[in-house]
Amino acid sequence: MIKSRKIFWVLSILLILSLTLVGCGGQKEEPAPKEEVKKEAKAPAALKIGFLGDLTGDTAMYGQNTLDGMKMAVEDINAAGGVLGSNFEIVEADHRYDKAEAANIVQKFVNSDKVIAVIGDPTTGITKATAPIINQGSVVQISAGATGPGVVEIGPFIFRNTLLDTVGGPTTMDYLVNELGWKKVALITAVNNDFSVGLSKIFKEGILNNGGEVVIEESVQDGDTDFSGQVSNIKKSGAEVIVFSGYYTEGGLIMKEVRKQGMNEIIMVGGDGLQAPTFWELGGSAVEGSVSYAGFSPEQPTPEVEKFIERFKAKYGKAPDLFHAQGYDAVMLVAEAIKNANSADPKVFKDALAKIQDYPGVSGNTSFDANREPIKSPVYLLQVKDGNWSLLKKVPVKK
Amino acid sequence: MDFTSNFIVQLINGIALGSTYALIALGYTMVYGIIMLINFAHGEIYMVGAFVGLALVTIFKVHIIIAFLGAMLFCMLMAVSIEIIAYRPLRRSKRLAALISAIGISIILSNLVNLLVGPKPQTFPSIEKILFEIKSFDLIAGAQINTLQILLIIVSAILMIGLQYIVKRTKVGKAMRATSQDYDTAALMGINVNRIISYTFAIGSALAGAGGVLVGIYFGVVKYNMGMLPGMKAFTAAVLGGIGSIPGAMFGGIILGVIEMMTVAIGFSSYRDAIAFGILILVLLIKPTGLFGKQIFKKV
Repeated sequence: MIKSRKIFWVLSILLILSLTLVGCGGQKEEPAPKEEVKKEAKAPAALKIGFLGDLTGDTAMYGQNTLDGMKMAVEDINAAGGVLGSNFEIVEADHRYDKAEAANIVQKFVNSDKVIAVIGDPTTGITKATAPIINQGSVVQISAGATGPGVVEIGPFIFRNTLLDTVGGPTTMDYLVNELGWKKVALITAVNNDFSVGLSKIFKEGILNNGGEVVIEESVQDGDTDFSGQVSNIKKSGAEVIVFSGYYTEGGLIMKEVRKQGMNEIIMVGGDGLQAPTFWELGGSAVEGSVSYAGFSPEQPTPEVEKFIERFKAKYGKAPDLFHAQGYDAVMLVAEAIKNANSADPKVFKDALAKIQDYPGVSGNTSFDANREPIKSPVYLLQVKDGNWSLLKKVPVKK
Repeated sequence: MDFTSNFIVQLINGIALGSTYALIALGYTMVYGIIMLINFAHGEIYMVGAFVGLALVTIFKVHIIIAFLGAMLFCMLMAVSIEIIAYRPLRRSKRLAALISAIGISIILSNLVNLLVGPKPQTFPSIEKILFEIKSFDLIAGAQINTLQILLIIVSAILMIGLQYIVKRTKVGKAMRATSQDYDTAALMGINVNRIISYTFAIGSALAGAGGVLVGIYFGVVKYNMGMLPGMKAFTAAVLGGIGSIPGAMFGGIILGVIEMMTVAIGFSSYRDAIAFGILILVLLIKPTGLFGKQIFKKV
């Protein structure tokens, strides 16, 4: 009895020690700067562009990549002598995927840094949270990533430069039903995810408009791991393809369950929510052949885009992704609008920006429609091959 | 496929899911039976079990069966330490104090794992590479069952039979039953109740750890917050079966799994959690002692 009590004490001391050790380790790992503002080399009368994004939080990959793309664009512009004789300069900040922090940052951009434009945020949520402040301050905002509804409606200074779900979704469904010839579709929605619910509506309309049929609609929730019931229902329905509007984690797990239940041929088609390495890390061989759409792919580029990719690789040592390309284009669009308007005043060049048609960017051709919404063409259909996305087809958008 | 075959398929899905609930529910019910504490950290122990299994398989490259046993052992030691640090000092205080302590431990564990591994879901290596290939077998009426489901159900069944043996046939089991009937009298009869409580925590947590590894194998993914929802569902299962009753926890878990899966089968998958917790409320309103529970007269 005394012996066992001794063991208990040793164990409890070990546990306490391990807790404190872990605590210390954690503190070292997270320097967590409250707000980091780096200013690049000061040129006289530089035009300041604010970078709004996340560098250390949940969406850090989107933020960091957008910033890298922007930096390259600014270098290119400054190397060519700037715009209207002024150089561009990026003002950086990190909101750590925190809406309140993002609001503070844009207040600072507008009131103390006096930026002419804000590029970001890559997510719809933070873009919508910050856009009213930026619009109020008469500064142009271009989100290089917000795909959800209700963004540019916030005000005349708010823009975005990304492939919208309402453009990519119908184009993908057209290809699915008419080119691949799959008429019987199983549609899965993650019902606690706004993005998925919205995209499912777009997908469904696209399927029906092209003469396809939704033979079964199933719902899942973000964070679920058990999809056996839904997959059994889909198996029974005789669907030829699974269309899923949610994110990569659930997408990978659903496909794993699909293979587990012996459906070995059927593939998943989804939105850009599937585009993360987690999709095939979780799904493994089960997601081979799955398709999603995107606004950019480094494969089969046009000669101009190829130059961009090569220079990007030389600078960063890796191939650019969608966010790099969109971040680059966002800065370039601002420069183009300033040139067209012959003014660096956001109140003036915002109208020139809204008039841009068929701007040949590295992330595709960009036009702004009557509502200032971007139409980007072509849509890139990507397919998982050997555990990575590869280009399946470039589909031009029907305007 | 016709109605019967779909029913059988969904029934099997439900039993497989329910077995995991049952494994967790057993820990809840055993601890409650003996010290009247709802151990809210139990779901987190299941999560830690899954991560220990994952670490053993991927980092230490041990065989899955050794990883399975290793996770059980780790969970045993961890739960015993938790009991000594967080619950034993509060044994004679109000029951609410120990309950709050349990919630605290639950938050500490899930955040600790989040800190160590990160919030990203971690892939559990596919069983095909380590044990056997996933195959489907035909049952009656065109319904199929796959090898993973068979594995999950059989291992759960073996563990539950083992538990029944320990509780009914061994001396420790007898002491457990005695302690749960009357703590003070058991102590007077020469039973070392502290040690018996440690055994109870150890056995319950070993089952939760085993459940964690099985779920990792079955669904192929583990996450720092994976203990939260199954923990709550297992608690529901334990209440449904009658908290404090071991057969009750087993049946409660399986019934809950089957009900959830039938909800999905008839097309209400968004309501599966709502229905599970609706059952909890109904049981508490209509039959608070659950299916197998006995009326407990409060000892003051």
